[in-house]
Amino acid sequence: MRRAAVLRPLLAWTLLLALAVASLGADFAFGQATLVVTYAIAGLGVVIIVGQAGQIVLGQGAFVALGAYAQALLVQAGVAPLPALPIAAAAGALGGALASLPAGRLGGLYFGMSTLAFALIVEELLVRWESLTHGAAGLVVPAFGLAGWTAGTPAAQAAISLAVLLAVLAVCARLLASRLGRAWRAVREDEAAAAACGIAPAAAKLRAFAVGGALSGLAGGLYAHWIGFISPEQFGLVFSFELLMLAFIGGTRRLAGAAWGALVVVAMPQLIAVLRDALPGDWARSAGLELMLFGAVVVGVVLLRPQGLADGSGR
Amino acid sequence: MKALRRLALALSAVLAGASAHAADVAGVSAREIVVGHVSDLSGPIAMLGTPVRDGMLMRFDEANAAGGVHGRMLRLVVEDAGYDPKRGVLAARKLVQRDKAFAFIATMGTPVVMATMPVVLDAGRLHLFPFSPHKATYEPLHPLKFQNFAPYQDYMEAATRHMVERGDYRRSCLLYQDDDYGQEVMRGVEAGLGKLGRPLVERTGYKRGATDLSSQIARLRAADCDLVVLATVVRETVAAMAEARRIGWQVDMLVTASGYSAQTHELGGDTVEGLYGVSVLPHPYAEGANPRLAGWIERYRARFGVAPNVWSVMGYTLADMFVRTAEATGRDLTPAAFARTLERIEFAGDDFGSPAYRFSADDHLGNRHGRLAQIRNGRWELITDYLR
Repeated sequence: MRRAAVLRPLLAWTLLLALAVASLGADFAFGQATLVVTYAIAGLGVVIIVGQAGQIVLGQGAFVALGAYAQALLVQAGVAPLPALPIAAAAGALGGALASLPAGRLGGLYFGMSTLAFALIVEELLVRWESLTHGAAGLVVPAFGLAGWTAGTPAAQAAISLAVLLAVLAVCARLLASRLGRAWRAVREDEAAAAACGIAPAAAKLRAFAVGGALSGLAGGLYAHWIGFISPEQFGLVFSFELLMLAFIGGTRRLAGAAWGALVVVAMPQLIAVLRDALPGDWARSAGLELMLFGAVVVGVVLLRPQGLADGSGR
Repeated sequence: MKALRRLALALSAVLAGASAHAADVAGVSAREIVVGHVSDLSGPIAMLGTPVRDGMLMRFDEANAAGGVHGRMLRLVVEDAGYDPKRGVLAARKLVQRDKAFAFIATMGTPVVMATMPVVLDAGRLHLFPFSPHKATYEPLHPLKFQNFAPYQDYMEAATRHMVERGDYRRSCLLYQDDDYGQEVMRGVEAGLGKLGRPLVERTGYKRGATDLSSQIARLRAADCDLVVLATVVRETVAAMAEARRIGWQVDMLVTASGYSAQTHELGGDTVEGLYGVSVLPHPYAEGANPRLAGWIERYRARFGVAPNVWSVMGYTLADMFVRTAEATGRDLTPAAFARTLERIEFAGDDFGSPAYRFSADDHLGNRHGRLAQIRNGRWELITDYLR
């Protein structure tokens, strides 16, 4: 049973990739896959915070930003990209821990609003701290490399992202099965009851945010390399909501939800762009056509699979 | 096991096919030339995206109607990145790998340009005339990247100097958008004032998208500014002028080329009367246009159902530069040959009143100059020649 639960999604994803490579071309498909996987890692952070610990987070983009900037600055300072990645994740974790502090006094939507404020503060900080971040002018980030080798091809970038995703999925699966995972779910279901059972809700929330922040920070570190240029505006509220949408489309209760959500959020607009080319001239040129179709797809997914695409598959 | 081997064989066949194509000149076939355009049709600068795209389409259609470029039809493939670098990278990869674009033209927005430029250049494609003030679009010199937008820093330095000398302003101030655009303008204004030995008395920023500028205007008024330079776009330009007039402050204002748009006086009406602006390309007003320009305006209106604006002219001009360079390059069109031709062509002024664009082997920035204009009787009027 357990083997089937692993093999089935693995087969589905392999088939999807093979189909994409065959129909879209290798580099294009791997380029898509790189960003889908990177977004999935960032989305895992939302799945942990929202889906497991039951907290509202409206500023997840800030954790990605902290990871991306930490990675970019460390690499600029001469640190190799691979050892810089854990520090990027730590930056995200620290951000997560800080953002969770108001949870002691606030709850529900009010706490969600405080995470939104945290994201705004981070964005503002990145703009204002020019001596470090170059402000709005942004930072150029070199390609990911390791001991003289550079991940210059989309296939190499996809492979690195995938390796990181599989590693964090394994860690998250262990976490969810652990005492901490059970504590998160208990807090999610009923905070008072959890406290009565000896669980400290504040500590559980803080850990959820630290883990969620670390995952998003890690994704930020990779994102910085794949995009090659980071600026504060890239990590604004739209990005945070995109990550939230990703988690809800994929399903917040399951780890696999992050991957399915990322597939819809990242690859679907591109698929629409490819299909759009087949439309007659005037249709193809309509501004916002892709957004409209994407919106329709999202509404369709929400209506047909309200628990998310991953509901009933994988963990 | 057999199935796995088959899958591996199929994958290697796909990869081999991809590398075989790479041997030809990408995007150039016997019948057509593919040009890629990563635009913003749904993001914060979408109001520029549509007219730029339409201007380019119009010029390419004209070239195609005249038989194409050495018998090859031009095809513009447009992708919308919505000012999002992630979407930009994916769009650029699509254009490189699926559409095999020969060149990228007028990519829109600094984050998108900075993220997509390496994808384009690494694939050996031309990166032409992106909409970004970033120096990286032309420096360091790269054989395939060219820029023809005058940098804000350069032309605002000249414009500020000229304005201050002409009006003998003593207390110049700056209202700027808090991003790379605002920073570039600030550097130019400071440099211009520095040459005259005058200080920038006050500066105040706002976040992109802000609609209320009352606190910023109050601060500038408190500093007793007699000239306010605006590093704003259309809506903020109107908001700044309207707020100043609302509180009874009759101060002179000078906006960058980002605020030089017909929309500024259409939206602002009387409140923006007297506003100074920098023009790097004149607005195509139908009224008073010479017969050739009037004909162009009419054709544009007939084709797209709206009046052209300065961005339509920009799109048309960029596409025209592409067509003329491709024609001059000859039948053997390669990115290297195109770049060599672009380095030696001189694009003299045209019916629109464009500046002269000129590149060279060691300078891939085609223009550094703008000229002053002022809103008089509800329309922009040019009041100087291109400032040196």
